[in-house]
Amino acid sequence: MGIDKVEPSDAELVRRVRTGDIGAYGALVSRYRDRLGRYAVHMIGDREDAEEALQDSFVRAYRSLARCDDPARFGAWLYGILVNRCRTTGARAARRRRLFVHDAQALSGAAHAEQADRLDWTDAVDRALARLAPEYREAFLLKHVEDLEYDEISELTGAGVSALKMRVKRAREQLQKYLREAEHV
Amino acid sequence: MIIAALLLVTQVVAQDPRLERLDPDTRSAVAAVADSANGVGLPVEPIIQRALEGATKGASGARIVAAVRRLAVDLGTARLALGTSASAPELEAAVAALRAGATPQVLAHLRDVRRPPLTMALSVLADLVASGVPADSAGAAVLALAPQARDADLVDFRRAVERDIALGAPPGAATSVRLNAGALDVSSGSPSSGNPARPRRP
Amino acid sequence: MFEPEDETVERLIQHLRRPVAMDAGLDARVMREIAQASSPRRRVWPLPWSVAAAAAVLGAVLVARPWARNATSRADTLQFVLIAPQAASVSLVGDFNDWDPARSPMQTAHGIWATALRLAPGRYRYAFLVNGVEWRADPGAPAAKDDEFGTPSSVVTVGGRGS
Repeated sequence: MGIDKVEPSDAELVRRVRTGDIGAYGALVSRYRDRLGRYAVHMIGDREDAEEALQDSFVRAYRSLARCDDPARFGAWLYGILVNRCRTTGARAARRRRLFVHDAQALSGAAHAEQADRLDWTDAVDRALARLAPEYREAFLLKHVEDLEYDEISELTGAGVSALKMRVKRAREQLQKYLREAEHV
Repeated sequence: MIIAALLLVTQVVAQDPRLERLDPDTRSAVAAVADSANGVGLPVEPIIQRALEGATKGASGARIVAAVRRLAVDLGTARLALGTSASAPELEAAVAALRAGATPQVLAHLRDVRRPPLTMALSVLADLVASGVPADSAGAAVLALAPQARDADLVDFRRAVERDIALGAPPGAATSVRLNAGALDVSSGSPSSGNPARPRRP
Repeated sequence: MFEPEDETVERLIQHLRRPVAMDAGLDARVMREIAQASSPRRRVWPLPWSVAAAAAVLGAVLVARPWARNATSRADTLQFVLIAPQAASVSLVGDFNDWDPARSPMQTAHGIWATALRLAPGRYRYAFLVNGVEWRADPGAPAAKDDEFGTPSSVVTVGGRGS
């Protein structure tokens, strides 16, 4: 409302939620849904479980919003909740296929060479990520995909910066190895 | 005695205060349809509700009467497929399934493989088709699940398929993938990879 | 800075950085869950009086479990939710209430409209009537395809078996 067309900042939205404007939280959800979803999908490896983790995290964040000390850094705080939630995703639905869209395309006979290449590559990426130890995958995704700084990651995960750097390095080495293996099959 | 009973039913239907929302001509036409349906043992309530839906939505009398006539016929077809012991909710769900393209044979087969009530199974079948799944795929999927799945499992299946479709999967493929995913243990690898995939868990 | 062997990893990183589109329905599910939890007792910061009153009304009509799958009862209590911040009124209308807009008016808090109904087993067509004139289907429910009256409707089914 009003003349100002600039989107409200996270801090402003948090402030509004705290004064009772629940709808303002909807704006925060929309703002962060896809970004956090990307992390959840790659970390958990199952779209449905990732959505559930994401939904849970948003709800938890709302309920504990009073504990967000710095509303301007709501995003980072929300990440912390999501990272923890992703850790607790159990072995439920281990049978579910991952990233069915690729399976569906395969089923419908994607014969086009380029498409097949893309499928194989995406598959190889998924498998390589899946083979990483969870702490390595977590650190790798937060650093290289979500672009967080090491001190931010340290805050979220509770691990020290040098430990994190080592995990990311190991993750890179292992991913390289797994991708090479996949190429030679 | 039977005639008196039928007359009584007609009067009861015509006197249903809910029908007063219809104009007199429409009201008597709807009452007549409901009466014939009841005369052959079909449920009256769905017919009343369809008329009331039309009334609330401001549909013309002709449209309302056509709708309730079509419903009465379809309820009859549903009952032929499911048998005379089918309940009103089952018949209504069966109508939806038939209108979605399921064949009476599929309905009869469902009756043979699943303990009643069939309401949820039939509904899921209709809802899958409403999401774009071809009728034969939907029918095959529901029949495959019907012997063992609980109602809640069928709902979960339908939601999973709908979600996959919303994310871009071809509807038929989404259905078979979800069906097979339920049967397989752990995600399986594609033929090109030598390593079986491990599910990713933190 | 990176050696040639790292090209593979860089390619992987670029691939992973591609945007992922999550289900847009997630927003509504989150807001629904939040609205359900809103009640004066649960608030963690002081709310203005009017908001607290609205939340109390909303809390009074919502039940704790959405889409209850109660194995022992035959009837289910179901929540119906519509997010319509601009609406002045929303009614739930369907086979369960004679399509009478006066029977199930919905309550709102901050644009989230909700009501709960106890439903016997059956398949029910329904829709939301917004401002008394606009028909809306439920975005979170299967569509009623056999729509003979030209307006969108949705379907909810109660199975009626303790599964």
